[in-house]
Amino acid sequence: MPRPTSPSIPEKEFLVSAIQQSLRLDGRPLTTLREPQLIFGSELGWVECVMGKTRVLAAIDAKMVKPAADRPYEGMINIHSEISPMASSEYEQGRTSDEEVTITRMLDKVLRRSDALDKESLCVVAGQRVWSLRLTIQFLSDGGNMLDCACLAGIVALRHFRKPEVDVEGEEVTIHSPESRAPLPLAIHHTPICFTFALFSFPTTQTGSTAAPLISTLPSGSFSTHQTYALLDPDLLEETLAHGTLSIALNAQSELCVLQKMGGVPLDQAKVVRLVELAVEKAKELEIFIERSLKEDWAGRGLEVI
Amino acid sequence: MGSRVEILNPGGYRSDGRKQYELRSMDITLGSTSSSSSTVVHDLQNAMAHPHPTAPDGRAHIAHGLTEATAQVFGPREAQMRRDAIHDRANINVQVVMLPFSGGASSRRRGRGDKRLLELAAAIKSTFEPVIQTGLYPRSQIDIIVEIHQQDGGVLQAAINAATLALVDAGVALYDQVVAVSAGLHSTAVLLDLTHYEENDCPHLTVGVMPRSGKVTLLNMESRLHVSRFEHVFSVACEAAKIIKGEMGNTIGQRTESLVSAMAQGEPTYGRTAAADDMMDEI
Amino acid sequence: MSIFVLPGDLIVPGSTGSKKLKLGPGLVEQSSAIVATRAGTLHSKQRTTFFIDSDTQRYVPASSDPVIGTITARQAESYRVDIGSASPATLDFLAFEGASKRNRPSLRVGSLVYARVSVAQRHLDPEIQCYDATTGKSAGFGELKGGMVIKVGAKTARSLLSPTHFLLPLLGAQFPLEVATGVNGRVWLSSVEKAASGSSTTSRNSVKNTIAAIRCVQAYDEEGLDAKGILALLASLSL
Repeated sequence: MPRPTSPSIPEKEFLVSAIQQSLRLDGRPLTTLREPQLIFGSELGWVECVMGKTRVLAAIDAKMVKPAADRPYEGMINIHSEISPMASSEYEQGRTSDEEVTITRMLDKVLRRSDALDKESLCVVAGQRVWSLRLTIQFLSDGGNMLDCACLAGIVALRHFRKPEVDVEGEEVTIHSPESRAPLPLAIHHTPICFTFALFSFPTTQTGSTAAPLISTLPSGSFSTHQTYALLDPDLLEETLAHGTLSIALNAQSELCVLQKMGGVPLDQAKVVRLVELAVEKAKELEIFIERSLKEDWAGRGLEVI
Repeated sequence: MGSRVEILNPGGYRSDGRKQYELRSMDITLGSTSSSSSTVVHDLQNAMAHPHPTAPDGRAHIAHGLTEATAQVFGPREAQMRRDAIHDRANINVQVVMLPFSGGASSRRRGRGDKRLLELAAAIKSTFEPVIQTGLYPRSQIDIIVEIHQQDGGVLQAAINAATLALVDAGVALYDQVVAVSAGLHSTAVLLDLTHYEENDCPHLTVGVMPRSGKVTLLNMESRLHVSRFEHVFSVACEAAKIIKGEMGNTIGQRTESLVSAMAQGEPTYGRTAAADDMMDEI
Repeated sequence: MSIFVLPGDLIVPGSTGSKKLKLGPGLVEQSSAIVATRAGTLHSKQRTTFFIDSDTQRYVPASSDPVIGTITARQAESYRVDIGSASPATLDFLAFEGASKRNRPSLRVGSLVYARVSVAQRHLDPEIQCYDATTGKSAGFGELKGGMVIKVGAKTARSLLSPTHFLLPLLGAQFPLEVATGVNGRVWLSSVEKAASGSSTTSRNSVKNTIAAIRCVQAYDEEGLDAKGILALLASLSL
């Protein structure tokens, strides 16, 4: 398959001049998220997250399995995510793209390794029966920044999911249907949220000079005379042309869970700290939004809620 | 857990006898010189001393304590797949191999499709893409192959440092070097250059710094750390990178010096091969 | 008058006397009946010419279509241009105004061109040209410098090309605006204010205006806003 055509020179130049004037194509300020939208399905733990043209679906199902021999008290959670050609014509079926590696690893770190979920609470009978959760993340449409959207969908799905209540008598395990007994929420320690910044770096030129704007997709030079811009929640074009990204996953309690900046344009120490502080602020806002959406959904469901 | 070793004892020493800010001993071997007295890599040094026509263009071995990595650089050479060639700059290809006996977190064999290795490779690739003057080598390809020989914490750090050194050894044009170091936090004390044991117990991060500008090009953290503590750990790590840069600079300096002196004398003082002798005779 | 049809629908043209029927895209004749092959609205001209206007995303080249393409490679005698069709188009070095064997155009890879499809045959790569072959003049075609290109549906692109369409004159009345519309669903927009000295710089205003124009065209494409809606949107953009 031929490489997808990279954006044309006018597109690059326009994006550069827009960013230099702190303008974005969709009218957002540089450090504003696209308004996220959470759509809950009829099943519990079925969430679709929409951010602009990016759509990601997260769904959870649970089954009972025998725990791993070395961890008899812990349940399991598996995250399945594959970028299918459905998201964008740039992805091929069955071939792992670089984006997929990055996103899968980040999802694993943000949702699983950050200990958001109390795995011991998934234990039913030690060494015999534990819940095994499967979180399937399906990328429906790639409008840029699928990572943040997927993390948000994933963590909200975990918060939304309810596992059936279980009775244990001796070796006998009874699973109650949701109709007879209200299902129970998962024990979630905290809600990590991921924020991705697209970084751009341009040499500072005097305004109004006729110097050709930098059109290379790669920044170069010593960077000492460069002006760096960080765009929160990049769209597809911004993501394609970005000189680097910085992803920060953290919770509303200001605990950083994952920081990831894989190369790209170098940043000042102070700038990194500033971006982290910005993410702290955004995490608090988004946490409130998540709480509100979940509450509204439960109110509309008319179910017994725990 | 039974008997636990203290991460930092009341006397201020770590489990391997280091102080808080002390780095592990570093050992660097560049190209075909043997500036170190390491015996672990004896055979490797031998191989380096006698380059063959298909040998890598640059090679470096680095040890941070017990963590060891070798990087090899091929290129800039013709792109092996025509579709990989980029019309205005070089394409950088990174492959990371974890040797099956390297131990570490999970000693299971990692295949080529392993997500962790692919991620490591992607991190190295995007770290060096803006640092290498790719515009000088259009339509060509630079391969960086990193082998992790032994793991005892700080794998990413060793891989990045080895790759920098190998690129320098290969003579690829760089805007700056990239120096990586890991740092962690034990209650309120910042520790540098963590071992595997410490990594398991403390929140830690790895930074890659460009020493000339002091800017951060790589940042990786996978464990929970409160924002208020982050800045401190981060700045200590950036400071530590300068020390490592000094060490790396010394080794590169020695290597260059020996090369220059060899050229000045018109006769190599090391690694002299039969082929080289023949050529001398013909002249 | 237009009717919505689905693939397989039979079209009954009504009596046309002895005149021959002309069938446009989306219609075929099958055993003396006319059958629609695409979903869309059926249009007719003077009851003899019929075609279906459907909103596709993918572009299938047709002769003399104006298109916008990105140059992807430079070859010995021609450029390869991505116009969004199944196979890339070729743009001969000589297919420019005033071009000769000696005087070649100097477009870089990544440049945008506005061109006309000259050859569109099923078994050949499409060919495009940046001049009018009969007069040798550029006729408005050529490289597009500055500005920004966006993707819209084919139907939107075709309607924007119509001189009676409301959107572009409406936008043009608000701020200086240059537009090139390709029927391959790409619209190039540029708003450059000519400074007093005659030099055109990408001032803050021109970037802002271009963004406003882009958002209006996108809103028209996606939500089908009418003139009123577009004006409301423009007002909300706080120019």
